[in-house]
Amino acid sequence: MTAKLLELNALTKKFGGIFAVYDLSFHVEEGESLGLIGPNGSGKTTTFNLIMSELKQDEGNIFFKGKEISGYPTHERVKMGISRTYQIPRPFGEMSVTKNIRIGIMPDEILSVMRMHSASKREREIGISVGFKEHHLEAHPNELSMGDLRRLELARTIATNPKLLLLDEVFAGLTAGEITELSELLKQKKKEGLTFIIVSHDLKSLAPLVDRVVVVSFGQRIAEGSFEHVVADEKVKEAYLGK
Amino acid sequence: MKKSLSWWLLFTVLMSSMPLLISTRSLRIFIFANFIAIFAMSWDILSGYTGYISFGHPFLIGIAGYTSAILTHQFATPLYISMPIAILLTMVAGSLFFFPALRTRGTYFALVTLAFMEVTYHLVQVVRPDVTGGSRGLTGLPLLVTGAVQNYYVSLFAMLFIGLGLWALARSGLGTVLSAIRMDEDAVKSAGLNTSKFKLFAFTLSALVAGIGGVLYTHYLGSISPRGMFDINFLFTILIAALIGGEHSIVGPILGAYFLTFLLEFSRPYIPGSWRYLCYGMIALIVYMYAPRGLFTIVNAVENRIRGKNLRGEEYDSQTA
Amino acid sequence: MSGIIIQGFLISGLYALVAVGFTMIFSVGRVLNLAYGIYIMLGGYAYYTLAQVLEFSKAISLLGAIVVGVLFGVLTYFGIVKRLLNNPIAVEISTLILAVVMQAVVILIYSPAPRAIWPIVPGISRIHNVIISWNIFFAMITSWVVLGALLIFIRKTQVGRAILAVSMDTKGALLSGIDPERINILTWALSGALGALAGVFFATYTQLEPSMWVSPLITAVAVVIIGGIGSIVGSLVAAHIVGFMETITTTVIAPELRGVFTLLLIIIILVILPKGLLGQEET
Repeated sequence: MTAKLLELNALTKKFGGIFAVYDLSFHVEEGESLGLIGPNGSGKTTTFNLIMSELKQDEGNIFFKGKEISGYPTHERVKMGISRTYQIPRPFGEMSVTKNIRIGIMPDEILSVMRMHSASKREREIGISVGFKEHHLEAHPNELSMGDLRRLELARTIATNPKLLLLDEVFAGLTAGEITELSELLKQKKKEGLTFIIVSHDLKSLAPLVDRVVVVSFGQRIAEGSFEHVVADEKVKEAYLGK
Repeated sequence: MKKSLSWWLLFTVLMSSMPLLISTRSLRIFIFANFIAIFAMSWDILSGYTGYISFGHPFLIGIAGYTSAILTHQFATPLYISMPIAILLTMVAGSLFFFPALRTRGTYFALVTLAFMEVTYHLVQVVRPDVTGGSRGLTGLPLLVTGAVQNYYVSLFAMLFIGLGLWALARSGLGTVLSAIRMDEDAVKSAGLNTSKFKLFAFTLSALVAGIGGVLYTHYLGSISPRGMFDINFLFTILIAALIGGEHSIVGPILGAYFLTFLLEFSRPYIPGSWRYLCYGMIALIVYMYAPRGLFTIVNAVENRIRGKNLRGEEYDSQTA
Repeated sequence: MSGIIIQGFLISGLYALVAVGFTMIFSVGRVLNLAYGIYIMLGGYAYYTLAQVLEFSKAISLLGAIVVGVLFGVLTYFGIVKRLLNNPIAVEISTLILAVVMQAVVILIYSPAPRAIWPIVPGISRIHNVIISWNIFFAMITSWVVLGALLIFIRKTQVGRAILAVSMDTKGALLSGIDPERINILTWALSGALGALAGVFFATYTQLEPSMWVSPLITAVAVVIIGGIGSIVGSLVAAHIVGFMETITTTVIAPELRGVFTLLLIIIILVILPKGLLGQEET
């Protein structure tokens, strides 16, 4: 039996009078690829924010590798091995691709950081491994296509050596060709042992990438299982199409 | 790297020979420029890089100056003891008061630091004026060295030493992290870095430089007063020097300090006193809004053009589509 | 004791007025407007010019001061904020430069010497051995009235609720068909007006001088930090905390230490409750 890498238990988060996430529980096993889907506003990004400590939950627990991580700030959780991409890419606008990746590589130590004053082999390697061409490595974010920006996000997260990767709407805004490339890349990373939670509206692109799916609506889990099983579920259809 | 070091060397040689070339009066202008450069660099390594705009650098400089002034004037402490103590106190006091603001959003930071400057201005005049010299301040302080030429070299080498040190640090990975914090602090946290730690480091560094500048400046002038230290106009001068010169570059503030100082000096006979700050302010506002990257980037861009590179410093022929 | 309570309320009313104009910009525009202190200063000088130099009636002078505030608020918006939309750091710095420039202008026109403004409502009276100046009393009443009107405006009118919507969620407000441009202009105009009004009272309470824009700005910041952004009620509560803190310090401890405890309180709040007492969580 594979270990539970991440476990959410009765997670609840309220904004004003509205529950963004309510009594949400699910887990991800090591090496697994989990899809997190649901209609707009169902709390998927909020869940990611809670896992990464960008928001604090009102109730519930988060366990990573069996340990309760709720007290730890964002950078500590990243150091433990969780990393995320953002729905709208957040590159460092005034820095080149390689410099962006460098920040992901940097250890959380002032002296070590000081020594990293020039380009390293590793940042180029990571850049190329996500599909950047040589001549693009020094490009700046304002020169990159959406596909490249998502690639950059991915590169920066991979640079932090994660065990668990949270991908938020990673296919949004991509051309069909870019989606195919990105899917191949993710499949490759999965083979290398990376664990994923993928949020996506593009169910077609998501299907071949996930072992299991959790469906949320209005912040609550309404279905869980294989992709085919979940897609056929009445509750899920209702949630997407509306009553 | 080599190119930059040769610029530093050239600059050092040029500036060191100034006393042979110019009058004593002009030398004093250069001394002032050197000190403003030190203060502007101190501001830049924190605010220029991290984007946490400090309006409290006069507070730090003033604390350093007053501590050393009081110790030497009232308690007959020798300079080589009073100055380090003053610098240390500046770093500690600064961390105590400014760090809580650094932990939160950058927007509060500016105003909390401004508040400290204001309050200290009043406090220093009113609490134990027998020690602090009240609203008049203290005069007759021991000088570090005497004579324009000696003071020039002290200020010059302090400025160069600090400049080189900060420049090297800023060019290292540390500068990268601090700049990234300015661009998107949350994304830096998501990359696994403890931004509070790096901010505190930048702040301590900034306070250290401000402290050094503060004690050297005070023991050059031989006097200190609340109006001279905890003053909006002083803040303004430092800020404009850093901004006009070019933020987050370390070298920019040096350029800006010189530019501003000479502007102030040469316009003195033409613009009556009360109009001066108005004019500088208007110039500063226009420059800042339309060329917010400052002189340094302009100089850099011109230099690149001359050398046949594009504006970012890349060779034209190596560019591919 | 009763003196402290009465004085405390009086000052707090004034501080609330000062702070509310500031917090509006902050919560709606999410930018730091250092030029807010200038609206206060200009309001004071405008009133002085109209009432004491040109000898218009007090009512007209007050109105004139408010108009100046509105003009300057809108000017700040169009001249600076709109041009530097995506760069909050640039807005901070530009508004500071603007403040220094305006201070220089005022020094040029009026000279740096401080001036006294005759109280709007002259006279003092004694209640239980406590001296109350009618002027400050009038200021406090005005503050409460204005703040009450503002609260009603924000909560009950359509325009007011639009402002509230933009302050909480700009994107959501856009989707509801609200024109953010109009809201922004209105907010900055309102902020200018409130600042100028506060400035007139502030000037009568202390004195008129070119550097008078710093102190109320800091008070406004203290109130916003303690009370939390985006909450008018929070500002009211915090204004009273700050007001009473200063009154107690001035009366019981020493007048010179007036600002010190406020500053300490700011630091403590920043460490323990970074969102202030009633602040909204940023989404």
